[in-house]
Amino acid sequence: MRWQLYKKDPRFVFLSLIFLAVLLPWLPLGASTNYVLRIMTTAVLYMILALGLNIVPGFTGLLDLGYVGFYGIGAYTSGLLSIHYDLSLWVILPLAALNGALWGTILGAPTLRLTGDYFAIVTFGFSELVVLVLRNELWLTRGPMGLPGISPPSIFGHPLASDWEFFYLILLLLMIVLLVVTRLQNSRLGRAWFAIREDEIAAQCCGVNLIRYKVTAFAISASIGAMGGAFYAKWFKFIHPDMFKFWESILILCLIVFGGMGSIAGTMLGALILIPLSEVLRAVLPQGLFNARYLIYGLVLVLMMRWRPEGLVPFKRAQAKKAKLAQERLEI
Amino acid sequence: MNTILKIIKLSKSFGGLSALREITLEAKQGQIVGIIGPNGAGKTTLFNCLTSLYYSTGGQIEFQERPIVPEVAETKRRLIKSCAMLFFVLGLIWVPLFWSSIVPHTFFKVEVVLLGIFILSIRFFLVRGLMRFQIWAWGLIFVFLISDLWFSIWWLTHLLSLGPMIGTGIPLYYFTVPWGIIAGPFSIYLISQLVLRKVRQLYGFRLGPDAICRLGVARTFQNIRLFFNLSVLDNVKIGFHVQMRSGVLGILLKTRSQRDEEGLTEKEAFKCLRFVGLDGRAFDLAGALAYGEQRRLEIARALASNPQLLLLDEPAAGMNAQESSELIRLILKIREKGITVLIIEHDMKVMMNLADNIYVLDYGVLIADGTADEIRTNPRVIEAYLGGGTAHAAT
Amino acid sequence: MENLLDQSSLFLQQLVNGITLGGVYALIAVGYTMVYGVIQLINFAHGEIYMLGAFLAYTMVTVLGIPFFAAFILTILVCACFGIILDFVAYRPLRNAPRLAALITAIGMSIFLQNLAMMIWGSQIKSYPRDMFPAIFLKPALSIGEVSMTWIQVFILSITVVCMIILHLIIHKTKIGTAMRAISQDKTTSALMGIGVNRVISFTFAIGSAMGGMAGVLVGLYYNAIFPTMGYIAGIKAFAAAVLGGIGSVPGAMLGGGVLGIAEVMGAGYISSEYRDGISYAVMIAVILFKPSGLIGRQIGEKV
Repeated sequence: MRWQLYKKDPRFVFLSLIFLAVLLPWLPLGASTNYVLRIMTTAVLYMILALGLNIVPGFTGLLDLGYVGFYGIGAYTSGLLSIHYDLSLWVILPLAALNGALWGTILGAPTLRLTGDYFAIVTFGFSELVVLVLRNELWLTRGPMGLPGISPPSIFGHPLASDWEFFYLILLLLMIVLLVVTRLQNSRLGRAWFAIREDEIAAQCCGVNLIRYKVTAFAISASIGAMGGAFYAKWFKFIHPDMFKFWESILILCLIVFGGMGSIAGTMLGALILIPLSEVLRAVLPQGLFNARYLIYGLVLVLMMRWRPEGLVPFKRAQAKKAKLAQERLEI
Repeated sequence: MNTILKIIKLSKSFGGLSALREITLEAKQGQIVGIIGPNGAGKTTLFNCLTSLYYSTGGQIEFQERPIVPEVAETKRRLIKSCAMLFFVLGLIWVPLFWSSIVPHTFFKVEVVLLGIFILSIRFFLVRGLMRFQIWAWGLIFVFLISDLWFSIWWLTHLLSLGPMIGTGIPLYYFTVPWGIIAGPFSIYLISQLVLRKVRQLYGFRLGPDAICRLGVARTFQNIRLFFNLSVLDNVKIGFHVQMRSGVLGILLKTRSQRDEEGLTEKEAFKCLRFVGLDGRAFDLAGALAYGEQRRLEIARALASNPQLLLLDEPAAGMNAQESSELIRLILKIREKGITVLIIEHDMKVMMNLADNIYVLDYGVLIADGTADEIRTNPRVIEAYLGGGTAHAAT
Repeated sequence: MENLLDQSSLFLQQLVNGITLGGVYALIAVGYTMVYGVIQLINFAHGEIYMLGAFLAYTMVTVLGIPFFAAFILTILVCACFGIILDFVAYRPLRNAPRLAALITAIGMSIFLQNLAMMIWGSQIKSYPRDMFPAIFLKPALSIGEVSMTWIQVFILSITVVCMIILHLIIHKTKIGTAMRAISQDKTTSALMGIGVNRVISFTFAIGSAMGGMAGVLVGLYYNAIFPTMGYIAGIKAFAAAVLGGIGSVPGAMLGGGVLGIAEVMGAGYISSEYRDGISYAVMIAVILFKPSGLIGRQIGEKV
């Protein structure tokens, strides 16, 4: 009887998916295993980023176009800290997260009382400013020369080198982020966020202080983005301001729009489908056209909004399913 | 029986259109007070002013003997705002001067501009936030004005190469730099003090709708404003929001107190649903409910915040006779719990059966108040609203 | 004393350059503000139409060999059509959808068009060939001391002024202009009054896009450099100008464009040229934060 319940529980589904993912490096794919691993690592990284972004438009219903700014801040925090102070990843991650949260609060506090359109533009302006600062403040970031030679993370003194080690690391990070996001979702905070998303005025009259909760959402989203960036710097070992252009924000937005804004499962699914797809595109299209893969992402956004704005896993259905599960759990 | 709500000469105008004109209203604890009037009379506007969704343009509201919508003259507000603007502009001078007095060659650098914008924003929000404590706001404006003036003098002397301070031979920046060093961190200190408090509404004096809910005023809406994509239970749990204390840390670490609170929330939510008779539908999506059930859910959500005053905006709209009777019974049950109810209604049967006292609005003006019988026979009311023949039908 | 004269002529020259740039921004900003006025949507893809204008003129002149002024007129017409198509394909189906959906569609279209242009024309910077336009353009038209204004600048400014006058006449003196103003106040009532809302909206897009395309050609002429991502940078700046003037207000857009152009050139000259774009962003953020209704605009509230 309990088994029936477990089968429908999304947590179980994901645990089994992750179990399969863990097996992945050991599958006999031959020489291309590393390549597949790198793609999966990228996919999981984007899953983390998408989960972070999902909090703002997905939970609170505001469009954040400047997410890549926090991604870049996290990456540069991590890169600079490891180059200048040679700190371990486990110190850098929380520091990057805190830095992200700090900037999220600084940006969010004055701007979150604006209407949706203006807020979107302001976040966009912010991310552009971040890129400009990254590019021009040579004394801090070495600007267009980039930041090479970031040391890889090490566990108990053993520096991570092979692809499967990084893959497991990012999986671990994904678990942490998933834990955080699901805990938040099923709590007073998550409910307040959904209330804001559904109807701001009613939420206010129910005692939800809009600014406080919006800023919290924004700060948490920023810190997750920064954590993703921190990992990215340590994995890629080289960062450059051009990696954090506005289009990355659009890509991540595309992932959550495609998967379903507001539902965690949908977000992860969106990343899981679209990121390997872009790799497929890279193999299929000639080099020059590959840079235009954002064309596809733009098209995806337009088409999704036209024909299935709720995404693959609609928020409504996710909520209904959650309610049904709660009911069944109560009856058992 | 003490007065729980006192509305004194409340006015609200939208530009040229005055929606409410000097409304005076009183509700005693445990009463059911009705508000009737033709459409457009300003009834919902009154509720919106009560819950601070609109800022009133005159008058005062006292809840439990405490002013929740105080009187603020428009001119005073504008004066404070223009001072804030002024000192914002002056701030444009302050930062580059401060910076250049320390490190002369970095005058026109982008860091200066960015820092300037940052400090400007801080100063602006500082004054806005401190408007509640007017002495502080004025004091701070004064402080920054002096420092701005100081740096203006320095800048002028620098530009015209007057060199050291006239007469004494001491370089001017011996004075300007320490002053800048004091005034700068002082502003940062003050803003941090402010940030630690609860965030204030735009004009500093006003409580926001959420603060008013916390004080014990809950409401329903004329057009149902439920969270349609959430389950019925979740809707009520959100109503319970104000009675919870869990914060981010507690949630992330799943502390004992957070878990207990979640359990309590669930129990209380079910209690509210049982009270309105919706506990069988707890796990359905709110959007899937029938219209009458949705109205009851809104009431359940409002009750979850444990209010002292409940504002019902046309709760019987669209209900048939049987549903209206059930609604009447529900509202009487609510009164038994000790909650005061303010109810806007068009349905005369509901109103006459429930209300202890009725106020009649027409074009934003109070034209009558009294018991149901008094209203029914008041000629002004009959003329404006009920219409001649309806006087008999409302019996 | 000489220094002061040098300083002031530099200042005045910057001012002239700023006003010219401001005119271009005003042309683009007007498109944003009109569309926002009628359908309350920030048309992110508007910058792309501006970019398309530049590229279309380029293609017409270099590949098709059409003389410059003819190409100019043709580009304007094509851009107008393009605006109509854009509305029809992307925005009209979402007329009644929530704001977020329309916003995301606009962004998607913008990205799509940028990359489409990259695919078609490549991402290198292109410039108009020297012999494309009359050589007189490069010569200064008037000079006062050290301050000079080239014929290009005169051309740009005069076209801008003419367009603004025409636009003003259209909005205030024609039937369709009145319809536009009515729709921006209340769309439903306008429809009930018999105004063909969709038609008027298409017309709005057409005018806005025509001006945007025009601005694109003018900028290509002025700076002699066009590239596929010029659209979104200029688009944001024009949006900043529209917000500065008060979104929804056409004279506001004109004013905002002028102010922003001057601010940008002055900032680039006196403060920092690397942060040239940053100045527009900073202005935009500042305006949105402190005075969202802009210099001229009006506030819109929500009925509870």
